[in-house]
Amino acid sequence: MMVDSTSPSLYATFPGQERDYRGQVILHRVTKVFPGGTCVLEDVSLRIAQGEFVFITGVSGAGKSTLLRLLYGAEAVTQGRVIVDNTELTRIRPRPLALLRRRLGVVFQDYRLLSNRTVNENVAFVLRAQGMSPAEIRRRLEPTLKMVGLAHKGQRFPHELSGGEQQRLSLARAIVNTPTILLADEPTGNLDQENSLLVLQILERLNSFGVTILMTTHDPYLLAQARHRVLRLQDGHLFDVTPVGP
Amino acid sequence: MTTPRPWMAPSLLSTFGYKLAYLLHETLLGLRRGGWLNWAAVSTLMVLLFLVGISLHLSWGLESSLGSLGNQLQISAYLRPAESAQSVLPTVRALEHVATVQVITKEQAWKSLLIDMGLRDQAAVEQQLGHNPLVDTLRVQVDNILYLDAVAAALKRLAPIEEVAYGSQVVRQLQSLQETLRLGSLTVTGVLTLATVAVITTTIRLIVMARRREIEVMQLVGATAAWIYLPFVLQGFLFGVIGALAAWALILGSQGVLADLFGSVLALPFLKGIGDPDPGRYWLLPLMLLGLGTFLGTMGSLIAVRRSSR
Repeated sequence: MMVDSTSPSLYATFPGQERDYRGQVILHRVTKVFPGGTCVLEDVSLRIAQGEFVFITGVSGAGKSTLLRLLYGAEAVTQGRVIVDNTELTRIRPRPLALLRRRLGVVFQDYRLLSNRTVNENVAFVLRAQGMSPAEIRRRLEPTLKMVGLAHKGQRFPHELSGGEQQRLSLARAIVNTPTILLADEPTGNLDQENSLLVLQILERLNSFGVTILMTTHDPYLLAQARHRVLRLQDGHLFDVTPVGP
Repeated sequence: MTTPRPWMAPSLLSTFGYKLAYLLHETLLGLRRGGWLNWAAVSTLMVLLFLVGISLHLSWGLESSLGSLGNQLQISAYLRPAESAQSVLPTVRALEHVATVQVITKEQAWKSLLIDMGLRDQAAVEQQLGHNPLVDTLRVQVDNILYLDAVAAALKRLAPIEEVAYGSQVVRQLQSLQETLRLGSLTVTGVLTLATVAVITTTIRLIVMARRREIEVMQLVGATAAWIYLPFVLQGFLFGVIGALAAWALILGSQGVLADLFGSVLALPFLKGIGDPDPGRYWLLPLMLLGLGTFLGTMGSLIAVRRSSR
């Protein structure tokens, strides 16, 4: 079923000023065309409610990463509107964008860790970059590392960790500033099944605390295990392919 | 993990304190990672500031030398034998740019000549020569050395004056030296300023590129552009401070060499005094070097950061 987000029931009031979009992700008739002419998204509309866990699936090159990049402001839409956690991203200025990113967590397939900094420093770096005090950084560091199971490896460097541990470190970095929305771009793409499930468990735990999760994947095993809403991106359109329960 | 909640706001002072500590830490980290590139930037700045400083120093020295020479250089105007100094004095005093006029009568001149020659018996000498052979002389000082030639020419045009004499050659040489120095230092400063800004820009850009991954992560987690790039601008500022201090030390160290150069090689012994700066200007030179250095350092890094953040 194609996601018809233009139906009046859902978007009759969109984008009214009085509505509260905290913790939500909203795409309204979004089109994204790259300068070369490639159209990755065509008139796509979508609403993800606060505290929802949504998978985005699709073949490589379908535009899953581009969709996420639109949500954290690394790409701009060609047409349409994007609202993330009450912030409109269309023509957003650098400072409001920076402030929005402090409320988001982003995880990548290639981890994007700082190789010359220890586990502790990789996580603390995020908080320092936001201007937090050393006391506040210390207060947040331990519970975060504990949650991803890396509390005992704080002094290790990324190259001393396994792939699964590196991804969990990347997750710790994304959640240490207690985001309201977490965007995960193929976080299990480089992991075996066991580590993929571990990452999924952490994400589900976060979700249970009320964090909205948007995760791209093309791993059918994970999709089957998790039983969350699944959207497939194909030919520039989003289709709801959530499996029907038993 | 607990649910998202705002943390206690720390006091304004401690917030400022750790933010400052963070910026300084990142700046020093950048300096450490810059390696030899730092030295390329600092040494280019140092050479530029040294040359600017030296030429300023020399220029000021020459200026004060010329000023003091101007006071010392007098035009001696020798009157015709039949003329009296008193008759021409009002006309000379009325000339433009004449500061003082001293009259030396032929009698005074004669006396001092005899004393200089060590002849005590004045009457005997006069008897031998028949009469006092000297003429009345006017010693004219000008208010500005630039008008020395003009005043001398005006004096020569006066009928009672037969001849004028003054050290015109020395003055012209000094003036042309000052002019050449000014032109040369302007050219060198201009070229070196461009080179310095280019080197600093490249240095900071390379350091920014080397830390691209960190900057990318910082951008992702919501660090503001000012927070990310301020350490790089501070680094450029520090290049300026270090370059200026090094240049000032070099200038102080090279003063002895300069004095020797002027005293012996260029045969301008009176310029030896250039090594001793005017007390009023003693702090002006390092302050100017510091100002120029930090301005260029900051400018170079701002250009680099602006290009990198696009």
